Amino acid sequence: MIQNQEELIKQLSDAVVDMDEDKAVELANQIVEQGIDAYLAIDQGLSDGMSRAGQLFEEEEYFIPELLMCSDAMYAGLEVLRPHLKIQHEGEREIVVIGVIEGDTHDIGKNLVKIMLETSGYEVIDLGRDIPPQDFVQVAKEKNAHIIALSTLMTTTMDGMAEVIRILNREQVRNSFKVMIGGGPISQAFADKIGADAYASNAAEAVRIARKLLGGAA
Amino acid sequence: MSEITFIQAGRQVTLPVSPGTSLLDATRKHGILLESPCNGNGTCGKCKVKIVQQSETGQPAEGSPLLTEEERQQGIVLACVTPVDRNMTVEILSRQDSRNVQIIQHGMSLEIDLQPAILKRYDTARDTTEVWTVGHLLGLETGDTGQENYGLVVDIGTTTLVAALFDLHSGREVGSVARLNPQSHHAQDVLSRIKLASTADGLAVLHSKFITVLNAMIAELAQETGIQSKRIYEIIFSGNTCMLHLALAVDPSSLGKYPYTPAINGGSVHQASEYGIRGAEFAQIYLPPVMSAYVGADITSGILAAELKERRGLTLFVDVGTNGEMVLAADGKLLATSTAAGPAFEGMNIEHGMRAAPGAIEKFSIQDNGLVEIKTIGDQSAIGICGSGLLDIVGELVKHGFIQGSGKFRESVAKPELNERLIKKDGKTVFQVADAVWLSQKDIRQVQLAKGAIRAGIEALLAQNGVLPEQVNRVYIAGSFGYHLNPASLIHIGMLPAAFADKIEFLGNTSKTGGQALLLNQPVRQTMSQLVQQVEVLELATMTNFDKLFVACLNF
Repeated sequence: MIQNQEELIKQLSDAVVDMDEDKAVELANQIVEQGIDAYLAIDQGLSDGMSRAGQLFEEEEYFIPELLMCSDAMYAGLEVLRPHLKIQHEGEREIVVIGVIEGDTHDIGKNLVKIMLETSGYEVIDLGRDIPPQDFVQVAKEKNAHIIALSTLMTTTMDGMAEVIRILNREQVRNSFKVMIGGGPISQAFADKIGADAYASNAAEAVRIARKLLGGAA
Repeated sequence: MSEITFIQAGRQVTLPVSPGTSLLDATRKHGILLESPCNGNGTCGKCKVKIVQQSETGQPAEGSPLLTEEERQQGIVLACVTPVDRNMTVEILSRQDSRNVQIIQHGMSLEIDLQPAILKRYDTARDTTEVWTVGHLLGLETGDTGQENYGLVVDIGTTTLVAALFDLHSGREVGSVARLNPQSHHAQDVLSRIKLASTADGLAVLHSKFITVLNAMIAELAQETGIQSKRIYEIIFSGNTCMLHLALAVDPSSLGKYPYTPAINGGSVHQASEYGIRGAEFAQIYLPPVMSAYVGADITSGILAAELKERRGLTLFVDVGTNGEMVLAADGKLLATSTAAGPAFEGMNIEHGMRAAPGAIEKFSIQDNGLVEIKTIGDQSAIGICGSGLLDIVGELVKHGFIQGSGKFRESVAKPELNERLIKKDGKTVFQVADAVWLSQKDIRQVQLAKGAIRAGIEALLAQNGVLPEQVNRVYIAGSFGYHLNPASLIHIGMLPAAFADKIEFLGNTSKTGGQALLLNQPVRQTMSQLVQQVEVLELATMTNFDKLFVACLNF
């Protein structure tokens, strides 16, 4: 039985990596039928699969389309498993407030990071695009967020990221949040310059960095 | 103050630099040319310099991922993120592509009625020549200068400037020169330029660099043709919206932020003397109308040159560049858009990428007998890959099965004899193109992003018009870059749908050809101003589900 449980969860992880949505749903149903803990299946099956997919992305094995197909499989499995989660696992998730900085409407990169964070177990509050710096701070405070994640594709709007950090400092809440940034014109040097906590060069790395920022294993 | 000794091409200069200044800023302050296409963001990796004195303590800033381990060990750093913190000797690594640039200057020729804006009338009684423009007298010249009436078309490309001198009596082109746009040394792409120009100092620098080079080009034309520059009465500025702003020293910052509104919309006349441009003292500048922040006067010129308004059926016009602008004409109804393709097609963000310069691979093919054929610019040994070569290489590798649909390298079944070119560099698979040049997996990803953006733009235009690729009657590829391209490669990489095969035509520099039409025929300006009002511009970034479309266009 234990063997079977481990085996099923392993297969669920594989189904995500293999971008097999049908298989993920089928396995999730079996897991529910056998009474296996849904949280365990999500954490060690689906999320594990996404983390392996992210690894493959960083190794340049997978590209954006594969990553999205993996996340489709993940979401399909999640839909089956989520109603069977025991209550105590709700509300434990760490909160990320994400958005594209003011002046920029390019949100493909931000959407990818959001998917990767969500599928790795974070609760993601997506503010959308063209978001004033003040709004990030306000929502982060209201929701007791752990991380503020800022994205931009445009060189012309990246200074809005520095403004978010200035507002955090001014309101003396800088230490309440970790700030991570990313996007085409962004670099580690820019992150250092504006005093962001981290720079992520891609969506998969964003997950590793979020974990690291919140003190978990990278 | 620290003392920095710069060594460039054997020459040496020592300068005082205040600590904390980046090496890049130090070079700029002292007029030392160092390419910095990303304007010092630390993202393009092109401002590599070598710190020669390794013995001193003090470690350069943490290595950028844009540097290889080998480079790091040699003391190579990115000048833009390396602050001056001690006396240093710095060698500027000359980039092989900085010497000269290959530029294609042909364009589609166009039948134009000769009706220039400038007319001359000699008054025998006063021995004076009157210079007229539509409805008013511009100025007077002593003696009979009636036969000397010239105009200039300046194609202000983000990378390249082309100035062509025309005889307004005959409509004939009498001379043409091209130069690298000097602004590209400070900021390569349009957005970096908008950012730099959003400060008064930055705008002044970019504007004056442009004017200086323009005047040098005018002087060169005068020398070559024997025509005095004071006989130039009108100058057409054809270029993208940002370039027009910079040419007239107008703050372009509103172009860089949603809702991306231009500060000037063209369709206007200005005094050349106000900008210190050589020419007749009363010469005027005409700016063609723009459609939006990212569909500019160069595309207005393109619409005119390709006669899109007049074409029956469906015509797709694509200007392939860092920003891929495109127009779909359906029986005279025009729909335009632009996509952020990024600089991959100009050889940037590509490991062995370079501009079109001697030694750049510009053509690549795999023959039936399994041999690889490579053509470099100037037939020199290959040192890098320029845009057209990049598309050829990726196109051929896709066609012959070395790259699968997902973009991942694999061994080819069709051409197994070439599988030995798939080698490992730093543990990663690359394709050996030439002895010192290879294509990495990451390079392919960059090509996927660039071609995916253009393909998605095309698909969005077609969908908006409710038509399929098969229904398109003709496809025009514009841009001087376009001439180097192999149409088969554009299809193999999926930048264009397969249904476009046999319908593709290269028009060359339509920004210049259209500018010429605007110079030689004044009434057409009114027509274009009205037409531009009617062009619908599709804003892709705010279109629902554009991200899904883009992702669907990434595979080969």
